[in-house]
Amino acid sequence: MTAITNSQSGNFGNYDAHQSDSAAAQLRADKWMISGTILMGTAILGLFGLPLFLYGLRLQINAAKAGLSMRPTIVTLIGYLVIIDSALNSMGWTLDLFANHTLVNRVLTTGWGAMFDGGYFWHYNELWLGGAGAPGEKAWEIALIPVLFCARLAAAIGLLQMKRWGQQWLIVTCWMGVIVWTGYNTNMTIFADIRYSGVTFPVWGWWLYDIWYITPFLSLPYLHTVNREIFSE
Amino acid sequence: MNASNEKDLPLGTTAHYANMHKWLQRGLFVCLVCLVFEAALSFPLIAMWMGWPTLTLTEVCHEMEKVRFADDSRECIVPYPLFGPAEAKGQKTAQDTWGIQPRPHYKRIGYRDLVKFRDERLAREAAGARLRAERDVALKAGLSAAQPQQ
Amino acid sequence: MNNKSVSEQDRRRKKAMIVFQVLIYSWIFATFLVQLYLKSISNW
Repeated sequence: MTAITNSQSGNFGNYDAHQSDSAAAQLRADKWMISGTILMGTAILGLFGLPLFLYGLRLQINAAKAGLSMRPTIVTLIGYLVIIDSALNSMGWTLDLFANHTLVNRVLTTGWGAMFDGGYFWHYNELWLGGAGAPGEKAWEIALIPVLFCARLAAAIGLLQMKRWGQQWLIVTCWMGVIVWTGYNTNMTIFADIRYSGVTFPVWGWWLYDIWYITPFLSLPYLHTVNREIFSE
Repeated sequence: MNASNEKDLPLGTTAHYANMHKWLQRGLFVCLVCLVFEAALSFPLIAMWMGWPTLTLTEVCHEMEKVRFADDSRECIVPYPLFGPAEAKGQKTAQDTWGIQPRPHYKRIGYRDLVKFRDERLAREAAGARLRAERDVALKAGLSAAQPQQ
Repeated sequence: MNNKSVSEQDRRRKKAMIVFQVLIYSWIFATFLVQLYLKSISNW
């Protein structure tokens, strides 16, 4: 339905051609962006993934300028950013939850803890299930990895396919993200002594490091105000 | 809403929200770039802060445990046995002021401080060993001087 | 639905979004300020 409004053709044969050209161009752009996102989701290889992603994004924008009906740029950004955000969060927390005695985790996570967030340094690997022992931290990890981030990944994929359920589920999981930000921050503020005593960059460090995870706050206003008709059942 | 305006707007964006959507898109782009840089550089930069490559990653792990549990004899077991008990379970050396909001007392780790901590500890241990050796020599000499020679 | 009611609805929705943004950001910012205050009164 939406493509008709964008289509510049008068008859149906042209419309079909326009549709298949658009789909092909979108797929070509998505292939670059998916490859980029896979690399960016691994964290350490992110700098190799970013150019691939940006190239795909440019292909998409140019195709839209050329008159093809492409996914809106902001939907593309939200979808892929949510995937990257979920992947990075899940990776860090999965390391802390299940791989807390690996050398990489004991350098990366406790090193990060010593610099930015004492919750990941204080009595680390002393709790019976290992990893961070700060009050409440383990409960957040267990609740968020399987419930929030998995649902959020699925919703972002649905959104990128321009599905109605993707938009709706991303709204639901972004609201969960709002609860996470407020709850997690309040917990940190209450137990601020554990979080910030003896760390290298107390308060400022954590905020500068973590503020970039505010994806849900930037996504929600868009998801609530976009014309829902552009998403298909 | 007039159609001529709508033409230039992205799909799904009405004129009413055009400005908001533009700024949201900019914010999202900034977040994405920053997240990617941060995630990619975290491990190498933290490792360097902590003393790599002067210290190996295993040594960094040792030194952080010594700081965390205020105990020079602590070492990271690498590789850690699968399904073993938590490494620091039951430790008694960490320094805290206990209470409803516990307060840790470990040393702050500044840029490449772990290298300094290690060098200082090695120097201390060497000085201790030298002192013990001198005392042993002195003791032996004292003993032989005290005993009549036969 | 005529155009007028749509834009009226749009306007209210936009207002709600702005209120929401302001509330959420101010809460997050408030926790940041509290942490800065705690930092100033302790020797972290």
